[in-house]
Amino acid sequence: MQITNRGMAVLAGWVAMALHAPVQAQGFFSGMFDDVGVDFSGFIRAEGTYRTTSDENPYNQQGNLFNDRTIQRTPYAPPNLTQTQIDNLGLGGLVNLGEVGTWNTIPLVIFNDEVRRGDIIRSQENDTNYTVLRAEGEMNLRFSRNFRFVAKPRVLYDPGIYNDFDARNVANVQTGISGGDPALYQGEVNYFEYRVEDGNGGFTNGNPLEFSGRNYFVDFPALLFEYTNGPMTLRLGNQQIAWGQAIFFRVLDVPNGLDLRRHSILDRSLEEFSDKRVPMLSARLTYQLPFSVIADAYVGRFQPTVFGNPNTSFNVIPVQFTVRDMFKEGGFDDKYSYGLRLRADYGSWGWQAIAVRRWNPDGTFRWTQTGVNQSLDGNGLGAVVNLAYALNPREGCGGTTGEALAQSAFEVAPGGVYTAEEWFTYAAEVRLSGIEGLNAGIEDFPCAQALTASTIDPTDADAQQQAENQLDTFFVAAGGSLRGHIAREYHQENVFGLGLNYVTTSNIDFLNQIIINLEVSYQPKRAFTDIALRQDPLIQDETTVALIMDKWHRFTPGFPGTYMVFQALWKNRSDLVGRHLSGYGATPDNGLPPGIDNATYLVFGFQQPLPNRIFDVEFASLYDPQGGLFMQPMLRWNPGNNIGVEAFYNFIDGELSGNPNDNLLSTLGFADEIGLRVTYQF
Amino acid sequence: MADIPSMRRRDFLARTAGYAAGAGMLMPLWEAIGANGEINRAYPDELLSIEAYTKGRISPGDLITADNVEHVKDLLEPVTYEQVREMGRQLRVAPTTTDIMRLSPWEYMEATVRNRGRARFDDKGNVVTEEGRPWIGGHPFPDATKAVELFAGLTMSWGRHDASVYAIRQYSLSPEGQVQYQYDLGWAELAPVGRLVLEPTPYWDGHEDFLRYQSVFFLSPRSERGTSFLNIWPYDQNAFPDLYGYLPHFRRIRQFPTNQRFEPLVPGSTLYLSDAWAAGDPLHTWGNYRIVGRGPMLAGVSNGWNPDHPNWEHGTHGGPEGNTFWNSTVELVPEAILTEAEPVAFTRAPVSKKRVWFDARNMMPIGMVTYDRKGELFRSFDGNYSLYESGGKAFMDGDHPYWSWTHVHAFDVQTRRMTRLEQVREISDGVTTRVNEPGMYEQYLTRNAILRMGRI
Repeated sequence: MQITNRGMAVLAGWVAMALHAPVQAQGFFSGMFDDVGVDFSGFIRAEGTYRTTSDENPYNQQGNLFNDRTIQRTPYAPPNLTQTQIDNLGLGGLVNLGEVGTWNTIPLVIFNDEVRRGDIIRSQENDTNYTVLRAEGEMNLRFSRNFRFVAKPRVLYDPGIYNDFDARNVANVQTGISGGDPALYQGEVNYFEYRVEDGNGGFTNGNPLEFSGRNYFVDFPALLFEYTNGPMTLRLGNQQIAWGQAIFFRVLDVPNGLDLRRHSILDRSLEEFSDKRVPMLSARLTYQLPFSVIADAYVGRFQPTVFGNPNTSFNVIPVQFTVRDMFKEGGFDDKYSYGLRLRADYGSWGWQAIAVRRWNPDGTFRWTQTGVNQSLDGNGLGAVVNLAYALNPREGCGGTTGEALAQSAFEVAPGGVYTAEEWFTYAAEVRLSGIEGLNAGIEDFPCAQALTASTIDPTDADAQQQAENQLDTFFVAAGGSLRGHIAREYHQENVFGLGLNYVTTSNIDFLNQIIINLEVSYQPKRAFTDIALRQDPLIQDETTVALIMDKWHRFTPGFPGTYMVFQALWKNRSDLVGRHLSGYGATPDNGLPPGIDNATYLVFGFQQPLPNRIFDVEFASLYDPQGGLFMQPMLRWNPGNNIGVEAFYNFIDGELSGNPNDNLLSTLGFADEIGLRVTYQF
Repeated sequence: MADIPSMRRRDFLARTAGYAAGAGMLMPLWEAIGANGEINRAYPDELLSIEAYTKGRISPGDLITADNVEHVKDLLEPVTYEQVREMGRQLRVAPTTTDIMRLSPWEYMEATVRNRGRARFDDKGNVVTEEGRPWIGGHPFPDATKAVELFAGLTMSWGRHDASVYAIRQYSLSPEGQVQYQYDLGWAELAPVGRLVLEPTPYWDGHEDFLRYQSVFFLSPRSERGTSFLNIWPYDQNAFPDLYGYLPHFRRIRQFPTNQRFEPLVPGSTLYLSDAWAAGDPLHTWGNYRIVGRGPMLAGVSNGWNPDHPNWEHGTHGGPEGNTFWNSTVELVPEAILTEAEPVAFTRAPVSKKRVWFDARNMMPIGMVTYDRKGELFRSFDGNYSLYESGGKAFMDGDHPYWSWTHVHAFDVQTRRMTRLEQVREISDGVTTRVNEPGMYEQYLTRNAILRMGRI
């Protein structure tokens, strides 16, 4: 759709006058408004997936692995319980302090109970993971051959045809969930909003160029002015920047974070992250230098990666956590990232180099105070602890367990962790240390210690049992579950990268014209989430190496050439999504993960157009040698008349061999599905 | 030659043989052209007048339809003939152009005459001057007697301008005649050697090792918007061009293998990079060049520009829905040279052979058919060239009216899919047809340029 020249000249004339009326097309602005026109294009697309297994997302309330299991909880006498506290409770005749050696010593069988999580939050099954209506548009407003304005709105609507968790249904259980952003944790599932702490005790939108609500989402992947002059292009505004040659592996593709809402990373694989990169308000200058060198520099306002919201289909942060995003409160919204890339190609070989000073968009997580004043259960063991603490409060932690817990990382609320087994299972699932995580949650919060919580020596032979007993004790005392609050913070880092590419020449046809790329990045002193969620992140140097081989090969004269890509990625500190490798390998029975030394991933994909490209067959796979496999076959149909149809199947198996918590893909093992996208473009 | 009438074919071959011997035709063509820029003195009247050729059955201004196509059956390449006979295609007839300067860009023809006789093939088969330097402009072999000379001239300069940007509308039709796919695309080409207009001439300093910079970029529909490819052709015609592509989904430039030149670039298209100008690949990646015939032919070499439409768009007709073919004008080309070539450097190419008809007057291709690996007819190509001057209107190329192609048919004989292209004044994003303007290199023909043209 195009409107050109005279009609738009009037509009552009107004714009020109508004921009700089006195200039009158002199000097730098000469000719800037002499070739006016505007183009519109866009598409409307229905996107949906149909689940092919009964596995619900285990990180959501209704897919929790323990919803259908009845588990006995036995509390134990805390080892740092004082004789005074016991005497004050009138239990001096029953308990001799000298016998409380560890969390394994004195079971308080009188308070034993059984809990079935599903009695509080029922499991639900969904036929679909994802159903949205999407519209995207693009407006190109040209003022001249050198100067234009581009606006690309993206609009999504999710009708919410899922059997979703609604926190209001547990409002009367343990007095309900009161911590965290009400828009995320206290009502219906919020599919789209990116919410952060506002620094004034409230919450706000984390992206100034995003307008979203529970069911709708509007943003601008591009909203920018572009000026070109000879070899120079300058773009100012909201935009995405993609660097590097590796597909899916972000070795040099470091300027933008990713938006993992919507369909997470499970859309058409060969689209890579085109729909995922979080646009950044930035200035980008590209310049064609002599000797085939392109310089590409940017400076942009930091905008973090966005994870799926709690209880959305592809959320991977267990909803027993309440996440407090410090993007604004921590002042990170005023930070800037910048970088430079040089790239050159000389026929059969080329090179690229990057140097970036950025705020890592993924951020790190740590335990944080809940701020929720909610005492332990008023009955049973909770009542005993409440009374004990009230009789012997710690200075600075308030006079009630509620006030003390407000200064700890744990909130008495439903939908948290109900049993020690659940704690350790999920710690292992998210590649954290269950025992060290418990210790950090106690050690870093004195008011938790005031409630007789105590750290456990992980070298003790029975450390796992001690941790389980302590956890069950507090879950019983909470009268149900405890929710853990974690803060998300961001860290500045440098990224240096090098890439080399070479195109082979061979008389053997299959070995001819293979495009080989080698990319290496080095991030000194990168910050990772501590696997115990301690206050300080892990700081280590990280090296990432990727080998990418592209090959187009015509297997038969009757069909167009097949595009094949093979990739290998090696990382020495974290996995593909940034989780530190020391957190790998835990099990529900072992909360001290052994870790793995490095992570390796292999990718193979191909695209086979059929004659005239009316159909394309695609395949993508990701293999984690530790026991995970993702495969995505896809059929694309271009029937013409501005319609496009894509059907694909996502197969994910994170349990091919060994401990599922040793590989990346077990995290998404629930997401087997058939997807369909029907597009009408205009 | 397809099927030249037997009598006339014999006559023509006799004349050609005489010409080859230097004593048969009325006058050697390029001597006639050199004398006054006209071809009249080289050919007899029956090869300069469709009316004379058909003995008055068809005259300029007439429409060739299924009803009268039999009269010119032997002047049409076989697929065009079938299209007229079976699919409702029609061809308007124009008088034969005798002024050679109306058959190419002015400067190109001038240089062809000026540099005539100065070209040779070097040891590697590349066209060079007597001194062994890259070619200096114009057709290097206007007196071509070998097919490879014809293809060499065509490969070295496709559009015959130093730099061109073609604003193109492409329509791909189903066998049922429905326009299933419509694309707006730009095609840019720039010559760093053999330059005649753009300073510096004849060579662009530092770029003498390259024959051509060429890009193609799609602007609509949205699914293909931003798809761009940049070909950098080495001067050595034994080497493949470097190929870089910007794919919207990747949002970055990737290098592509250079030998994948038989792939449909976009859905529904029956065009390959290899098809460009009937010589889309480096000269010596094809081989077994040979001339297999000469004779008159009906082809679109004039009157193809439509200034009556503000965007130069053309009307259509024929086919199941009345929109399969461009409204075209043809004229009697007095001497067409039929050549054949085979793709010798492409393993498993879907094409086994191509036949290309050249207009002997200007050495431009006026028709092409390709054959599949079984030797069956695969696809056909025909189009129109024109001086962009008509009815008192003109689109100028410097001091002279612009000369270029105006529209093309690419027809898949086996699937009966048609792809039509036309050169228009302007397409999406304000991309306009332009010629020999400074700055085109930076704007369209660098990696930075295709990055900029890519989807943001």
